This record gives sequence, structure tokens and C-alpha cells, in this order.
Amino acid sequence: MLNPQRSLSELPKMSAASQVERAVLEEEFNWLLKEEVHSVLKQLQDVLKQEASRRFSMPTPGLESQLRQENFILGSSTMDQVKGVLTLQGEALTQADINLKVAKSSQVLHFQFREDKQWKLQQIQDARNHVNQALQLLTSRDDTYHFQTGAEVNKLMDAVMLQLTRARNRLTTPASMTLPELATSGLMKMFTPPMPGDVMVNFYINLSKLCLTVYQLHVLPPNTTKNFKPAGSSVLHNPGAMFELNNNRFEVSHVHKVECVVPWLSDTLVFFTISLQLCQQLKDKISVFSSFWNYRPF
Amino acid sequence: MSGNNLVLPIVLWGRTAPTHCISSLLVMDDFSTIITGCHDGQICLWDMTPELEICPRAMLFGHTASITCLSKASACGDKQYMVSASESGEMCLWDVNDGRCIEFTKLACAHTGIQFYQFTIGTQREGRLLCNGHYPEILVVDATSLEVLYSLVSKILPDWISSMSIIRSHRTQEDTVVAVSVTGILKVWIITAEVSKMQDMDPVFEEESKPIYCQGCQSISFCTFTQSSLLVVCSKYWRVFDAGDYSLLCSVPSDTDQVWTGGEFIAADKVIIWTEDGCSYIYKLPASCLPASEHFRSDVGKTKEGSIPPLVYSIASRSDKQLLICPPVTRFFFGRREPFHKLLIQGDSSGRLSLWSIPESSPLQPPSIPAAPAAAELPASTTVSLQEAFDKLTPVSAGIIDQLSVLPGKEEPVKVTASVYIPSQGRLVCGREDGSIILVPATQTAIVQLLQGEHMLRRGWPPHRTLRGHRNKVTCVLYPYQISPRYDQRSLVSGGVDFSVIVWDIFTGEMKHIFCVHGGEITQLIIPPENCSTRVQHCVCSVASDHSVGLLSLRERKCIMLASRHLFPIQVIKWRPADDYLVVGCSDGSVYVWQMDTGALDRCVMGITAVEILNACDELAPATVDALSHSAVNLKQAMTRRSLAALKNMAQHKLQTLATNLLAADNADKGNLPKYSHNALVVQSMKTNLTDPDMHVLFFDVEAVIIQLLTEEAQRPNPMLVSPESLQKSQAGADKGGSFLANKIFKQVKETMKETIKEHLLDEDEEEEEEMRRREEKSKSLSLLEYNLTMDTAKLFMSCLHAWGLNQQLDGICLERLGMLRPHCPISFGLISRGGHMSLMLPTFKESLLYQLSLATGRKLTLSDIVGKGTYGVSRAVTTQHLLSVISLANTLMGMTNATFVGEHMKKAPARPPRPGGTPESPRRTPAVPPQPSCPALQAQIKQGWSQLAAMHCVMLPDLLGLDKYRPPLLEMLARRWQDRCLEVREAAQALLLAELRRIGQSGRKDTIDAWALYLPQYVDMVSSPGTTTESSPQAPPPPDAQPVETKAPEEEMDVTDDDITADGVGGHGGSSAILSPVVQTVLQMGFESSLVESLVQTKYLLSGQHYTSVSDLVSDVLQAEEEDRHTAPQSTEAEERQSSSSGNVRMQTPVRGKVKEPGPEELLRQLQEERTCKVCMDQLVSIVFIPCGHLVVCGDCAASLRHCPICRAIIRGSVRAFMS
Repeated sequence: MLNPQRSLSELPKMSAASQVERAVLEEEFNWLLKEEVHSVLKQLQDVLKQEASRRFSMPTPGLESQLRQENFILGSSTMDQVKGVLTLQGEALTQADINLKVAKSSQVLHFQFREDKQWKLQQIQDARNHVNQALQLLTSRDDTYHFQTGAEVNKLMDAVMLQLTRARNRLTTPASMTLPELATSGLMKMFTPPMPGDVMVNFYINLSKLCLTVYQLHVLPPNTTKNFKPAGSSVLHNPGAMFELNNNRFEVSHVHKVECVVPWLSDTLVFFTISLQLCQQLKDKISVFSSFWNYRPF
Repeated sequence: MSGNNLVLPIVLWGRTAPTHCISSLLVMDDFSTIITGCHDGQICLWDMTPELEICPRAMLFGHTASITCLSKASACGDKQYMVSASESGEMCLWDVNDGRCIEFTKLACAHTGIQFYQFTIGTQREGRLLCNGHYPEILVVDATSLEVLYSLVSKILPDWISSMSIIRSHRTQEDTVVAVSVTGILKVWIITAEVSKMQDMDPVFEEESKPIYCQGCQSISFCTFTQSSLLVVCSKYWRVFDAGDYSLLCSVPSDTDQVWTGGEFIAADKVIIWTEDGCSYIYKLPASCLPASEHFRSDVGKTKEGSIPPLVYSIASRSDKQLLICPPVTRFFFGRREPFHKLLIQGDSSGRLSLWSIPESSPLQPPSIPAAPAAAELPASTTVSLQEAFDKLTPVSAGIIDQLSVLPGKEEPVKVTASVYIPSQGRLVCGREDGSIILVPATQTAIVQLLQGEHMLRRGWPPHRTLRGHRNKVTCVLYPYQISPRYDQRSLVSGGVDFSVIVWDIFTGEMKHIFCVHGGEITQLIIPPENCSTRVQHCVCSVASDHSVGLLSLRERKCIMLASRHLFPIQVIKWRPADDYLVVGCSDGSVYVWQMDTGALDRCVMGITAVEILNACDELAPATVDALSHSAVNLKQAMTRRSLAALKNMAQHKLQTLATNLLAADNADKGNLPKYSHNALVVQSMKTNLTDPDMHVLFFDVEAVIIQLLTEEAQRPNPMLVSPESLQKSQAGADKGGSFLANKIFKQVKETMKETIKEHLLDEDEEEEEEMRRREEKSKSLSLLEYNLTMDTAKLFMSCLHAWGLNQQLDGICLERLGMLRPHCPISFGLISRGGHMSLMLPTFKESLLYQLSLATGRKLTLSDIVGKGTYGVSRAVTTQHLLSVISLANTLMGMTNATFVGEHMKKAPARPPRPGGTPESPRRTPAVPPQPSCPALQAQIKQGWSQLAAMHCVMLPDLLGLDKYRPPLLEMLARRWQDRCLEVREAAQALLLAELRRIGQSGRKDTIDAWALYLPQYVDMVSSPGTTTESSPQAPPPPDAQPVETKAPEEEMDVTDDDITADGVGGHGGSSAILSPVVQTVLQMGFESSLVESLVQTKYLLSGQHYTSVSDLVSDVLQAEEEDRHTAPQSTEAEERQSSSSGNVRMQTPVRGKVKEPGPEELLRQLQEERTCKVCMDQLVSIVFIPCGHLVVCGDCAASLRHCPICRAIIRGSVRAFMS
């Protein structure tokens, strides 16, 4: 049936054969809808719940402090200008210590978060919310639910996959920001001692890594002959990128990026990939059958 | 195709209604329209009568992903706007009445809820949209520009907002926004007047943040009856809170297996709650929740779970429900005006809307058993699905090749599953469900479907060809030659669900080769870009549902590469020809880079790198993108072809600023745009969902039809045999064509134009002709009908547009003499608006139109009563487009010799005696037939027929139809075409505008001026300046609410408008203050020469002591003056002609007399230089004066190749060298 290379003369023979074949297929399809779909849904729930319960549980109001704190040391082996120690609690960075060695003066600047402040990593929150929405979709169809068509399963899988893809994308593609956006973000106001005007920091998640970027700036003199071209938005700006803020023109002179792997995030990404594949495989299985039901041969 | 072309779509929907899996619902305030959004991204408008009969009217296309929410976007009024948001972050503002897209934007994240909010400061009212979605803030967006103004931000535990509600307070200026976050925290923001005025991006922090422990909150709503309670519905329970201090008043859990998805107050003491599976329940609230009761707040602090309040009604979803593939959407709306309906509306995945009218009173129940288990069941008031509405139609909605597809013994025609239109041959290729492919002349088959005529009697008409080879459904068809001429023009490629790709010879119908390389059904066939290696250049790229991509060489007849084993469906294919890479983007965001030559997998990446690789491909070769998998994306692409410029703009400006652009597939809209712009007719197949059969949209480009008609007229063999009268006329026609083209070339491309324009034109066509001949020679074996494509297109188009049944005599002339045909039933037209957004009338529109018109006229109308003329009662924008098209085409045809559609059928039926007037229309196609001398009298009659037709549509329509059945054209749309680059369209627009201005009378004109006055430059000066006490200067400011929307209304050609207004603003200053009056200003805006207008105004003042009080008076005087000028001094008219014909930009070149501000020296220099450059090559200095016309406009080189003056088209009898010193 699936071999298109058979010649047309074989057709009558085939359609006779396919009568039996079709009966078998129908049975198999029913099995797929009744048994297989639920087992895949169960698997998916297990995978995601495991993930959700570990990391992505909804914070219950008032119980945030019970979340485990983790410390991450961000640094790189090749350069030691920047070193950061960050404390991650749930989706927020509760403490941060940043040491910055300024090249020219060999003076070490030290910043940390103010006591009353913490920085929420929007990426983790978004990923959590997407996963929870996916879980809600999955739990809405429990074992007792009887799927009647392949289209129904496909629709459900599409919705789940959309949420999962979004969740994963939020972790794998950090927001690209322009430098003025970065300079005016609340992050700059969180430090004690306050950040000097020529230093900017940014935190984000890229894949399974917690990243810290420090930009050192210098002010461009107003009558500079240099061709001023404001940089667009980017995840990581390069030295030489320029921007204008409050009528001052700045240029990025140094960029330091340090990162540290968050082990549970890499697990999470793996789980996302597994779940997406489970969904896709189920869809593929359905599609094999649906081409039999919907488009009967002439 | 640039946005300002006049393009009219006509839709052939077929019998199957498009899939419409409803994802969101909205009822407009006047309860006459229901709007539904679906998972595939379309929006459907349904008309509702006061008796709750519903009928789908139109479908709006433009979103690329599932619609997440809909909201109204204007306060009650005559302008009805609504806003839609999609999963991919797009937002669109639509006009509900005619389906025009007014504004659109795209953000990085998706909105899940939008609420309209109007605030008032003094007399100023402004609309705002509050949006929540996959982000932790509430964005406040301007309701007309869709710009984000500011945001409402949480300080404490910020998280996504799952639902929000606006509490309006009548006591203070402050309105409150109450929202619940996904973690169950209630947030309160206060919007004061200061906040609303704020324009910068300073965030507004919440006033209060209170955990209310509502996990999985679905909806929150405010009781408008008592103004003191809030209903929060969560999936497992619903709760009522005090709206003052947010204390819990009552909490009701759900049954075990029910999931609640929303609820609303329906009275002070009753709520309606609905579940995910579509059931709804009406509960009577306990006394502790009723502010009127003495027990109000008696339970605060001691909520008892489990006490279920009495159930008043239960509303089950349909018992006989079809299989639903996802949960239905339910909403409750109540009317604030007559009729005070309380409506529960449900939309489900089969495109079905069900309505329940909720009665005010409770059913009579024995009081002894409160909350009896069997609460009274409320029957549905109305229920209808899209398919049911389609099925009810008689005649059924036509599909493009239905007459060829109905197999004997079967009811339903075989569905068309894939199709492609070949414009060069005018043929449509339709792949069908049963595996056959049909080749058919597109206009002929459309005529059969839409129009009545003798063809109805013939079986199997029009002649067609069937290709059989696929064993099952055909999923995609591709004609490579159309996209790139490097391919053999014989080959047609098709893919099917039988996993095979077949190459056909389109002329012989022979099956050339079958490729069987994929392990799944073929989903897409694509062409590699130009600069690939030669081997790849002769390949087509096939994508299959087994996630594989193949490069199939048509020349070598083998698969040169198969890239398979992708884990996820393929979403996008891009190319890096320089590196010999094929880049495959999958739906999960991963990117695979394949080497085309070796077939080796170079890389597989994810995340930012993947996005960067995809983006890099775009930068290298912007025209190599193709998005697959999602049908809506394909749709969008299809529409991109219609307005490339706008979309490109959008892609470049909007998409680059995205903060977290998810994956690069989004900006796939940019590319792969074959040039269709010169085709009068394009047939585009569309589907709303991948599983749907194709529906077909015929796009008529009016300008292209006119060009083609004029071209053919110009090519006509020397009309010496024809009477002198028609000779003159035809000359005029040809001249017109020439000058028109001249404009085009002047304006658009400053390319060298070494020959006369007409010659240029002829040359081009000779080439084409030759090619045609070659093709015809090749295709000798092909037995398809040969016919004149241009005339056929015009015939189809005119027949569809004519307002039949208004003038019996004219109808007779149209049928008999002009050869037009009457439509079977009202035709579904469409309307293209900004950015490729499109509104298409559903075939069921005629039902609701019938209803409306019957209501308006007070008598029952039948379908045949509204054939043709009915469309003029649909909407003002539609009327404008149609009248412009019909008048400009009729005028064009009037100028042609022998412009009747009867003729060309003659040559196909030589047995019958030839009609006296019937010269074959296409001399180039049938060169053997000598042109027959046509009877001059008949020629005159034909011309008279066209002129009557034009006259009727131009001036008589309002009177004939009656105002209740006629929506007048929009003045602003006509005014915008006042300077259209196509002469015919321009003339039609001018005539129509004047007719319309005359029709609306003085008061109407005054209203119009009042409405637009605010936007006219220097208007304020006029008010304050003395001496202008004409009655047209408005004493009171015009109604403020109509203003902001007016400006934005029809912006199809925004590029033109803005420039025009500013240019006029500077140029329009006159010496006296009278020149500043709005009347004069309006006329100046129209593009008349200011000196002429000024002198007329002054003359009038001197003679009568009065100023002009109406625009039309002035305009008619100006026109008259121009006319006189033209007669007295032919020399000077040339200059004027030039000014008016080169549309707009000339105004920059000829300095307007009496400018208040002298242009700067650079400006002057530029002008001088411009004046002195050759108008043909735009390079060298002018140096030749033509005799006798005296124009000094070209350089010596260019003059040598000219026979007519490019400015005035006078024959050049001699030339003199001139030196400027």
C-alpha cells in the first residue's frame, strides 16, 4: 500500500488486500487512541511533573523562603577580571557579589545586592508558567477520557508542544536588549555600593548556564569625530558598541562574560526535549493512520 | 505589487466551509455582530438580527497564528472597531463593518486577554486597551495606534496575569484595575487622570497586592449591578469577593470531574458559571454575597466550603454534538441598549455558534425542593455552524472547477487539494483528492461558476485536460518556470500523499518521471534560489511529512540529495548558495545545515545560534525564504504577494525591534515573491487549515487590466479600414495608453528610455508575442481552448461588477451588445487593506444582506433582486473600490474599437453566421483572420453602451438604488486617487468624487469639511484671521469622538498621503486670507494649480463680493477654467497636462507661485538642476527644443530616438539645439 512504485496494474489486487489490511489498521488505530495515547500522556506527565515538582512548582504565597538556595560561582579560567557569586532561590537571584578588576587602575570594585532587593529571572518564571500550562492541558484528559479522533489528539499535542517549545525557547534564547534598555533597567539600581555610571551588568540564562555580563563604558566626547552609530538589541554586545543616554554618548570599552552551569537547568532542558519528542512521535503515529482514514484511495 | 493598486478579490469558496475551530468570541455592543477567532488565525464576522438569527458574513485573514483574544476597540458609536491578538504576538485593529485592517503591530510575547477602556478628561475621550498575557505586566496600549503607552507593574511577587477586570467608579475620576496573577495574588492598580495622560514608559506600580489563594484562576469579573462584588472563577471552585476590601464572601467547589473556565454576573443575585466541556450553570447567590441583603458580609472570615447555592438553570451543551476536537469557548454578554439581551454564546471546534438567551425570571420551581438535582434546562435559542450555513445556500457556493468535478452518481464534487495558476497561459492547474490533476483556462471556468450564459448548456465546458498518475490525493503542485525561467517551461511538478513526486509535460500531458524518495506524503515543493550551483539550479526541493527534504533534479531525473532524519516537522527551508548549504529549520527550533553537494550534515544547532544562522540566510539572500508547516503562514505568504511593500516594511521595522523574538520563522514573510504585478488576473488558492480543500481567490488588478486592454488596442493592425470616427478614437486610446505608461516610467524607474514609449511598449510585446508563438508551436498537441485572456478577464470582471437590474434597457444592451453575462447569484467579493490583511465575504453574506435590505425596503426581496446591485449596499469601502473599477474600465473600453465581448466567441464557432460587429478581438493570436470592417453604427452603439454604463455607476446609482440600499463611496478614498498614477483610475476617481460631493449637497460637504478641518494645515490661522466669515467656517468644533479614527481610516497608500499633505501645507499659502479658507484649502489639496485657484477666488470676490462656500462650486469653476485654457492656448495646456499627469512629484519641481517661505539656496539649486536634467535619461542636461511644441526637456542623445514629445505627445517635426548659459 505504501509503496508507490507498484504499477497501476497491481491496483485491483492491492485494494482487495487492503480490505483486510484496513480492518487490521482500524483495530490498531483504536488501540492507539485507547491505550497508547494515554500511556504517552502518562509518560509526559511523569516527566514534566518530576521536573515541575523539583523546580517549577508554583510558589505558594508566603512560603517563598522555604525554597532551597543555591550558590553559583561565576568565573572563567582564562580571565580573572570579573568574578561573581550568585545565589539563586527559585526564580529569583537573592544575593549577588560581583568583583570587578579594572584593568587600567588595577583597582578591584566590589558590588553586592542591596538587602531589600532581589532580581527575578523572568526567563525561569516564563518557562515555569509555560510548563505548568502544558501540565494543565495534560491533566485535563485523564485515563477515563476517551479520545475519539486523531484530530483531537493532534490538537492536544499541538497545544502541549506549543507550551513546551515556548518554555524551552525561553531558556535557550535570552532576551536581546539594547544598551539604553540595559542602562535604565532596574538591575542597575540594585547594588550597594551603587554602580558607577561606566559599568553595566546583565544576568540571563543561556541554555543551562547562568550568565553574568559586565560592560565597561567610556563616554564619547560630544565633539568626537568618531562615526556614532547606536547599536541595536543583542544578547551580548561587543566592545565598540555605542549608545546614547541622557544626551551622553557611550561606547562599550570592555565586555566580560562569565558563566556557570546550573545543573538542574540542564536536566530541565533534557526533559523538555524528551517530552517534545514524545509528543512528536505520538503525532507521527497518528498521522500514519489519518492518511488512511481521511484519504481513501480512489 | 505596491499597496496602492486597485485590486479586487473575488472568492470562490466551494461547498465545504473553511475549518473554523473557534478559540475566542466577542459580541459587539449593539448586538448585531458576533466575532469569532479561530485556531488557524482567521476571524469570522457573523451578523445577528434582534431575533437572534445568525449568519456568517465575512472572514478576515491576516493573523499567522491562533487568535488568543478579541476585544472591542471603540466606544459605542457609528465606527465599530475591534482588536484581535494572536499567539505569535500580533495585534490587529479591524473595522467591523467592512473588515478593513486599520492598524497592526507585533510584540514579542502573546496576549491572552484584552480589555477596552475609555477614559475621559474633560471633553477628551481616548480609548485604551489593557493587555495581559505571557508577561508579568499589564500593558496599556493606545486603541487607535496600537502603541504601548505605559505598563502596570507589580512590585511584590510579579508574575503573569491570568485575568483582569476594570472597575469603573462613578464617584471619583479613578478607575481600578483588578487582576489575579497565576500564583493567585490579587493585584490592584488605580488609573487616575494623570496616569492616563502619561506618555513615557514609567511603570505604574500596584496599589494593593493580596494573596487570595486562587490557583488556576480562569476569570475575574466585576458585578456591574451592585458595584460591590467580584466573581473569581478558578478551575476547581468559584468565589465571590467584596469589591471594597477583597474579603471572601462565598466559595463554591466544582463537581469532581468538572473544570470551570469562566463566569459572569447576570443579575445582582445571580451568576452564570461555565465548564470546560461546554455546560453552564446559573446559581443564585447566598444572602451573604448580596449588598442589598442584611446578611451581607455576615460570613466574612468563616467561609464554609461545600455549601452549594441553589442552581437556577443548567445549560447543557448540545446533546447531539459532533465530535469536538478541543473544548468549546463560552462567553456571556448582556446588552446595555435595546434589545436588552442577556446572551450566553458558545463557539466550538466545528465552527458552530450556539446562543442562549437568559431569561430575567427564574423558572417556576416548587419551593419545597430548592436546588433540585434536575434544575430547569434552558434550550438553545439559536445554533448554526459555518458548514450548515453553507449547506443551506441555494445555489450552493461555487468552487472553481465544480462543474468538472462532479462525478456521475455522486453529490459532492471531488475536492481540489492543491492548485497553481500559470498567469502567462491563463491556466489553472488543480490537483484533486482523487489523484487527478486538471488543467483548465482560469477565466473560462470562473465564468462558468459565476455567470449565466450559453456555456451552462454545454457539458464538460470549458475544455480541459486531465493528468492522471497520482494514486491518491495531490498535495502540492508547482510550475517551476513561473518562478524562474531557467526551468523548462513544459515541466509541471506535483506531489501527493502517495509519497511520490511526478514531473509532467504540461503541453502534451505526458508523465515524464516519478520520484519516489520520501517516506511520507509530500507537503511542499520549493525552488532553490538563482545563485546555487548549476546542478542544484535544475532541482526542485521537496519536503515530506516524514521530516525529510529532497533535492530532485529535473534534468538528471534523479534525487541528488535526501536530507532526512529530522526529529521534528520541517518548518522552514533556507539556502546559503555561496557555501553550498541547505538550512533546514524544524518546528522545535533546531536548525540542520546540510551540504548540498555531498549530502553531509554539517551542523545541527539550537538556541541563539540557530536563530542567528537562520537570520544570516535572510541577510545573504532575502528572497530565499519559505515557511511551511503552518497553513496560516502559507496564507500569509500568499497575501504577501499582494502587498509586498507593506509587509517588507513591517518585517524590517517591527520584527527587528523584538526583544525576545522566539524563532526566526516569524520573519519568513519577507521573501520569495514572484512578480505577479503585471497580471490582470491572479488566481490564488488558499486554505484556512491544512486539511481543508482549496478555495480560490481571483485577484483583479484594475490597473493591469487597463494596461493590457490599451496595449492590445495599440497593437491592433492599422485601423485604416475602420471609419474615421473610430480611427480618431483609437488613436486617442493609444495615446492615452502611451501617456499613462509615460507617467509610470517617469514616476517609478528613472531608467533610460531611448525609444518612444509606444515603441518600447510594442517591442516588449513583440518579444512576448514571439514567445507565445513559439509556445504555441510547441504546444500543437494541446487541445485546450485558445481564447483572448485580456478580453475574457475584462468580461468576467465587468459582469461581476455591473449593478444589474436597475435599468432594464441598459441590462439589455450589456447582454446583447456588450456581451456581458449576468451572475448566478450575488458574488463574494473581498477587500484588501493594509499590510496584506484581507477581508473576504463568505457566500452566506447574501443572506444577511437580503435580510438587511428587506428590512430597509420593507418588502421581502429574493436573491435575484440583489444580484449585482446588492454589493453596493455592503460597505462604503467596497462601494468605492467597485465603482472606481467599473467606471475606469468602462471608460477604457469606451475608448477602444470594437470593445464588445460578444466577438471572441465567434471564432470558436465558425459555423454560425458572423455577427456584423464581431471582429476577432485578438489579432495576434489569430493572425490569419483578416480584420473585418465593422459597421460604424454598431461601433457607436457599443461606445454608447459603455458610456451609459459608466454614467449609471457614476451618478445615477444613488437615485436608482435608493439610499437604504446604497452605501456611498468614501470621499477620502476617492480623494486619494485624485492623483492616481493610472489615468483611467484617476479620471474615474475625479468624476466619482465630484458626483459624490454634488450628491451630499451643501450640508454634507460642510460636515465633511468640518470633520476633516482639524487635519488641514493652517486651518487655525483661518479661524483667527478676519475677513473670512463664510458660512463654511465652522463655529463650533466638530464632534471630537469621530476625529481620531477618521484620520486613520483607509490607509492603503500611506506612503502617498503623508507626503501630499505636508507638501501642500507649504505650497498652499496664498496672498490673501481668502486663500486660507477651508474650501480653498480642500481644493488645493486636490492638486489644482494654486495660481489658478487663487485667481478664481479673487475674481469671484471682486465680482460678487463673496467667497466660495462650497468645494464643488470652486472645483467646477476651476475645471471650467482649465477647460477654457486648454481650448484657447493648446501650448500652455501641455504644461498643465504634464503637471497633472506626473502625479504629485511635479509639484516639487515646478515652484508654486506665492510661497510664503522662500526655499533655501540648496533647494533652489536642486530645483534648477532638476529642471535642467533630461527627463528621459535623467542624467544629462536638456539641450534640444522640439518643434512645433517647443518643449525643452531632453538631451541630444535622447532626442535622437524620440518621435513624439514625451511631455505633450505631439509629433516632432523638427528640433533645435539650445544652450543654457
